[in-house]
Amino acid sequence: MPSVTFDHVTKRFNDVTIVEDFNLQVADGELLVLVGGSGSGKSTILRLVAGLEAVTSGTIRLGDTDITERAPRDRDVAMVFQDYALYPHLSVRENLSLGLRIRRVPKEEVSRRVAWAVDMLGLTELLDRKPKQLSGGQRQRVAMGRAMVREPSAFLFDEPLSNLDAGLRAQMRMEIGALQRRLHTTTIYVTHDQVEAMTLGDRIVVLSSGRVQQIGKPIDLYRAPANRFVAGFIGSPPMNFIEGALEHADEMTWFVSDGMRIALAGVSAAGLTRREVTLGIRPDDLRMTFPSSGTAVEDGSIRGRVELVERLGGSSHMHVHAGSLHILAVVTALELPAVDDVIDLLILPQRVHVFAPDGQAIAIQG
Amino acid sequence: MRAERRAGWLLSAPYAAFLLAFSAYPIVFALALVMMHWDLVTRPSFAGADNLTLLAQDARFWQAVGNTFVFLAIHVPLQIVTALVLALALNRPMWLRAFWRAAFFLPVVISGAVVAILWNALYATDVGLINAVLARVGVGPVPWLTDPLIAMPAIAIMVTWKNVGFYVIIYLAGLQYVPKSCQEAIELEGASAWQRFRHLTLPLLLPQTVLVVTLSTINGFQLFIEPYVMTGGGPLRRTFSVVLYMYTNAFSYQKMGYAATIGVALAVIIGAVVAIQRRLIGQAEAM
Repeated sequence: MPSVTFDHVTKRFNDVTIVEDFNLQVADGELLVLVGGSGSGKSTILRLVAGLEAVTSGTIRLGDTDITERAPRDRDVAMVFQDYALYPHLSVRENLSLGLRIRRVPKEEVSRRVAWAVDMLGLTELLDRKPKQLSGGQRQRVAMGRAMVREPSAFLFDEPLSNLDAGLRAQMRMEIGALQRRLHTTTIYVTHDQVEAMTLGDRIVVLSSGRVQQIGKPIDLYRAPANRFVAGFIGSPPMNFIEGALEHADEMTWFVSDGMRIALAGVSAAGLTRREVTLGIRPDDLRMTFPSSGTAVEDGSIRGRVELVERLGGSSHMHVHAGSLHILAVVTALELPAVDDVIDLLILPQRVHVFAPDGQAIAIQG
Repeated sequence: MRAERRAGWLLSAPYAAFLLAFSAYPIVFALALVMMHWDLVTRPSFAGADNLTLLAQDARFWQAVGNTFVFLAIHVPLQIVTALVLALALNRPMWLRAFWRAAFFLPVVISGAVVAILWNALYATDVGLINAVLARVGVGPVPWLTDPLIAMPAIAIMVTWKNVGFYVIIYLAGLQYVPKSCQEAIELEGASAWQRFRHLTLPLLLPQTVLVVTLSTINGFQLFIEPYVMTGGGPLRRTFSVVLYMYTNAFSYQKMGYAATIGVALAVIIGAVVAIQRRLIGQAEAM
């Protein structure tokens, strides 16, 4: 299977830049996820690969072949659409075979490929049904089957799970992942859902306003977000951000904010007087303690009042008000405070992230 | 509750009265006239099955039925093709699209008599615009309305032109429901423009096509004003439509009973033809 290469790809619509200078190589057999909010340009990038939109400048290659100027039908890519785009007047069998018949694939070969896809996707019982007689998950499988029988060089998935309910979405997510590993076809998968991105992607590209924010393995994006946007986008529930400043005192670098301070190892603040920064801490990286009355809050902790406790069973989301701050903590303790109780949240110092005013991450380890 | 009921009756009363006076009453009256002799002047007299016997043996009536079928055989397919082609063209982004859409609809709202007079001039053998254009390319002159074999096709072309805007609207509405993603999907699957039309657009426009076939058939059976104005039913009675024959019996020969019999027979024929069409289309759809 060939790779897909983007070389300085830009897409403008009138004066609006949708995708700016996009460079990327999707490796042979890789499942690459493009993730971002609406208007991030992720679907446009997919449509540029399909040829459904024309690039303004730059080149797209499939393997060694420049496909930038080719018509969609000559690109050898198959796309699974958000609304599945099944042909409403055709049966499942005809939906699967139409593309092959249009390409004049011999009859026996069409039957062989349809049988193969149908078997792999468990659609045998549904071959003679029309799309409107299928459930959402079944339609999704037919849409994937239609892409599979083509045996294309690359799969393009455009938010394929967004029309399914939560339970089915989780199941189809696993099925798509398993299928892709089995077929080993180069795949570009677009989603706005960071959970899909984290669970499916070999690599993730985080996009915002048509620009790449970060490219990397899911766990690297989670552990070392390159900027505040990625930090806030990847991970659920989202990261807490605390505005404050770095200060140098007692041979150490401190992050100081309203009613709290924490020592940061590994940040050299020598010579640095005071620097405005944002501290990021994930809700899972806070530890709850009950302060004894009359004691002052310790360094590295935030004292606050409990505003809301959401019990999810295994863990609970605690919404805590601390001065002007609103902090969310995920705790697994069995004994939970009541609303309006005062608690301390201990920040794990090795897990914090620091962002400069322009949003870029500042390295704090080593 | 009672007030609501009274309001319901009150609100539906005007239309119910209209329906009774201009639909139900004429239908019942026509059915009654089938068994009457009536010349509009003297008292109607009971005719028994006289009108029906006459109808069965009346060669002129059956010729009119045949003429009308000739008209339909040309008009309905031509109407479908022209409306579909124009709708596809007008569905594309183009310069002055709204203007073009309105322009093609204009003949629909023009009076049929006016259109007939206009086309009389266009079709004129010696001085008509159509023959003048054809002469430039070395064709003609075509005796449009005076040749027994050409007159009915000429009228069918004209009626198709007049009504095309209406059916274009039906097809344009249908085209809005062809999902964009399906069009993109089939394009990615390798379909040419013709294959996209053949495998996706045309099948999805089947409901609209059924409607166009049904409506143009029903309208076609009621062909009247064009032959009345343009040919008077000639040449050699070849453009004598059923409705024109009914009109002639009613108002030239004052045979209201027989005219009503023709009208009822026409209603039965229309019902039968449309039922057969629907069944055929239904079978095609199931395949």
